[in-house]
Amino acid sequence: MYQYDQIDQTLVDERVAQFRDQVARRLNGAISEDEFKPLRLQNGLYLQLHAYMLRIAIPYGTLSSRQLRALAQIGCKYDRGWGHFTTRQNLQYNWIRLEDAADALADLAKVQMHAIQTSGNCIRNTTTDQFAGAAHDEIEDPRVWCEIIRQWSTFHPEFSFLPRKFKIAVTGSPNDRAAVRVHDIGLRMHRNAAGETGFEVIVGGGLGRTPFIGKTIRDFLPRQHLLSYLEAILRVYNQFGRRDNIYKARIKILVHEIGIETIRDKIEAEWQAIRDGALKLPQEAIDQIAAHFAPPAFETLLGGVAPEYANAFRTDFEFGLWARRNTFKHKQPGYSIVTISLKKEGEPPGDMKAEQMLAVADLADRYSFSEIRVTHEQNLVLPHVKQSDLPALFKALKAYDLATPNVGLASDIIACPGLDYCALANARSIPIAQQIALRFKNWERAHDIGELKIKISGCINACGHHHVGHIGILGVDKNGEEFYQLTLGGSADQDAALGDILGPALDTAQTVDAIDSLVETYLRLRRNSDERFLDTYRRVGLQPFKEAIYAAA
Amino acid sequence: MAKAPKLKDQAHIVTANHLTSGDVVYLTVRNDWSRDIAAAFVAPNAEAAAAWLAEAEAQAARNIVVAPYLVPVDAGTTLPWPIQFRERIRAAGPTTEKAAGGVA
Amino acid sequence: MPLLKDGNLVGEDAWLSVADDAPLPEDRPALISHARWQADKEQLVGRNAPVGIRLPNTVDVLDFGPEAGRFDLIVLEFPKFSDGRAYSQARLLRERFGFGGELRATGHVLQDQLWHMQRCGFDAFEIAREDATQAFAAAMRSFSHVYQPTGDGRVSALKQRLAATRKQEAAE
Repeated sequence: MYQYDQIDQTLVDERVAQFRDQVARRLNGAISEDEFKPLRLQNGLYLQLHAYMLRIAIPYGTLSSRQLRALAQIGCKYDRGWGHFTTRQNLQYNWIRLEDAADALADLAKVQMHAIQTSGNCIRNTTTDQFAGAAHDEIEDPRVWCEIIRQWSTFHPEFSFLPRKFKIAVTGSPNDRAAVRVHDIGLRMHRNAAGETGFEVIVGGGLGRTPFIGKTIRDFLPRQHLLSYLEAILRVYNQFGRRDNIYKARIKILVHEIGIETIRDKIEAEWQAIRDGALKLPQEAIDQIAAHFAPPAFETLLGGVAPEYANAFRTDFEFGLWARRNTFKHKQPGYSIVTISLKKEGEPPGDMKAEQMLAVADLADRYSFSEIRVTHEQNLVLPHVKQSDLPALFKALKAYDLATPNVGLASDIIACPGLDYCALANARSIPIAQQIALRFKNWERAHDIGELKIKISGCINACGHHHVGHIGILGVDKNGEEFYQLTLGGSADQDAALGDILGPALDTAQTVDAIDSLVETYLRLRRNSDERFLDTYRRVGLQPFKEAIYAAA
Repeated sequence: MAKAPKLKDQAHIVTANHLTSGDVVYLTVRNDWSRDIAAAFVAPNAEAAAAWLAEAEAQAARNIVVAPYLVPVDAGTTLPWPIQFRERIRAAGPTTEKAAGGVA
Repeated sequence: MPLLKDGNLVGEDAWLSVADDAPLPEDRPALISHARWQADKEQLVGRNAPVGIRLPNTVDVLDFGPEAGRFDLIVLEFPKFSDGRAYSQARLLRERFGFGGELRATGHVLQDQLWHMQRCGFDAFEIAREDATQAFAAAMRSFSHVYQPTGDGRVSALKQRLAATRKQEAAE
């Protein structure tokens, strides 16, 4: 993992001091709320429906056990004893007092964490594959590049007042687990004909009011040019992105309006002017950062299945279910990647109690080289677990309600905070997620249905990624009542697609029933149990699903 | 941001967030702020509501609260009962019945 | 409004802001609009006294840049502090076109933006505060290090680290 040096630590400490001073100036009236708002936002502090909310950056979703413990402690000390993991691999506290905010940030700084640029019209936390550095299908560890981007984007003097927020995602694997095609910039690592690694650069993806799948602006960018190319994109966007309408200010709209060819010409011309300048990355500098991400001291294990694992798989049915759904193939023989579901049926997706955080921190120390990851699907990951330790880990997780065997299944729902917390929402998300998840509590049915990604947003801003859900649910307000519009066939993976609208919006009870009917329709139509919901939908189209929901009406 | 509802000629209360704590608060008959919606002063019509909001804005300018706005309420009930669902959630807290507990 | 140059208060602005239809003073530095420059270019190039220009943040600096050297002052605008186009204009003028004159920020200029502006090449600020010099001094103390190389001459964290490693290697 990346460890701060004196420079990083000084900057984060100075940021806390700066924010403390800004809060003091706000409280003594030297600056107005209008002037203070962007300052607090650039430190992650929102005023939400009920209170101030503090959004903590978890850079590219990577946490140490020490950091997770600190998050638990801060949650107890300044909040109500829990936190909420978001779709951007961050953590939110819902009830922070303004007068405590600088103290909370100071506590975070002690464990090399911060809330810098988690809001505001600036470059946000870079996200990546939660399996980075562990996945068997990885070409190169994307965390190295995320950290290089983190440093470049932190307090960037030119790009702190962009037309709108700006999100970058990186994947180092051909199987995209970072949704790079729905970000302002997506970076996909791959090899060119000469065998060198570099980036496919994708721009203008995004969800929200006007969703777009990103377009490739450059097929192959050599690694040493990453920062100059990003700077060229941001410079063009900062100058030419629309500022007259907040809903048309993202780079996706600029790309759409002037066209990918025109924007490519502008960016490439800008890049030619700076590519060999101060941003060009010397190999030594890349190596220095990469050294932080050296693999942990894996044991050399023989091939084949560990006897403890094989035995538990045979004799413990629940363990078998969990191991099938919640573990993923590691690049190191004898190890597995474990996803910890924060989606126990009936619980708010992504919420985690302080005692659960402390337990996972201990388990990470014991079983995963003290490393934890946060996924954009609002779960946690222990990236490096010996297969022989899986049965013991499962047992320990179960004691904390953290062993729900549902990763990728119907109850593993992404949901934004919705109207229960969010000042922007039109409808609630979490209660719908809770009710739907309970419908799929029966393990036999849930596992038979197989992979099904349900994603819920409480408003058009699409924090719950509904456009790219196999089933997407969008909350709308109809004359003061909550209604939900369904979309089908979206995907955030390497085959990214936006969902198609199924029909008129439904009320809460109808929505929960409709999800059941959609699933029953799929089960009836699928060719075999290997054909996923998404595959069946792509094969048969919208019509049979539409009939199943609306024909009776 | 608070969405300012259109001002109909009906009963309103004034809400805001307390600057230092962030708590949801309501303007009371004593011109101070309460966390309890039951203590909110109900302005009976649009004219009274506008005057009431002006008082709240003056207090915002004095850095006591943030972003005050009017909430239309049903005047026929004993307690001020917001007409908008959003404001009911804001008054009563999240509806998500979390196992994590609403309180530490 | 107080004017800061290199962190110090300028008592009286030497520059006279001239309306588009007013004659230019012969013996005093004159600040004109971009529109006037475009209209009267031929006439203005022969002028002896210094000329400054006020550049709207919608002007593409790649078009204007080659002419930047004709001016002793360029004023860039922040209509709202949240409108950050002039940060890019400033860097391009300094770093691409080598503009060496005064680069002044005007408009909604706040203490908490001064650090960014200074890093992008601004050296003068019109700032609506009585305590402008203190505000500037405080802003300049914000951070001891920088991650990004810009034209301000500060050494980036990356360069600092590489230098430290090389020094260490040389010593070994």
